[in-house]
Amino acid sequence: MNILVRVRLAVLEQTIASGQVPTAGEIAAELDLPLEMVQEAYGKLGESHVFVCEPGDPSRLRMANPFSPVPTAFRVSARGGSYYGNCVWDSLGIVSLLGGEGTVETACPDCGEALSLRVSHGELSDAEGVVHFSVPARHWWDDIVFT
Amino acid sequence: MLLFRSEEHVDRSGKPKGAFMTPAQMWRLADTWYHDRDDPAWRRRSADEAEDVFAEIGLKGDFWRLTG
Repeated sequence: MNILVRVRLAVLEQTIASGQVPTAGEIAAELDLPLEMVQEAYGKLGESHVFVCEPGDPSRLRMANPFSPVPTAFRVSARGGSYYGNCVWDSLGIVSLLGGEGTVETACPDCGEALSLRVSHGELSDAEGVVHFSVPARHWWDDIVFT
Repeated sequence: MLLFRSEEHVDRSGKPKGAFMTPAQMWRLADTWYHDRDDPAWRRRSADEAEDVFAEIGLKGDFWRLTG
């Protein structure tokens, strides 16, 4: 398994287990690799749009898609854990990745009313609201944090 | 990608209006996109492959184009 695959999987596994997106140092310790090698892998995973790097800090990720390392408006409960998603797409992606059983809780950006989406047995069982994309697909990665 | 109560709430929010999908479409897209992300053999989709995924769940038109 090449290093990019090992680092990608280790990031996801640690995030799923702890609810926290790991630093490059934590992944280096987990995989017994030099820190610089993991930082380089973070950079390459960012360049290829697998993850999003924290600008100016080679040891941190801004997004470990579908997970967010920082609190967002999207709270996900799945497989006994609690996580933050980067957006509604990624939040439902967390539920999918964790087996298709879980809940996404957010609030309407206009009025603040609580909204939730529930997935049971791989099917959307309870849903409310409408999903809105501001940015056309070809421009998503111009500024993925805004998107 | 945000979840609003309705299209009217998007209008009221003042955010630039783009495109809508139902939560059911969003679930299908998210499930297709992420279910195998922890598979060692996973690889990022090409733009053409991503457009095919969008089309399969009814997302067609210039807004959803990644190519051309």
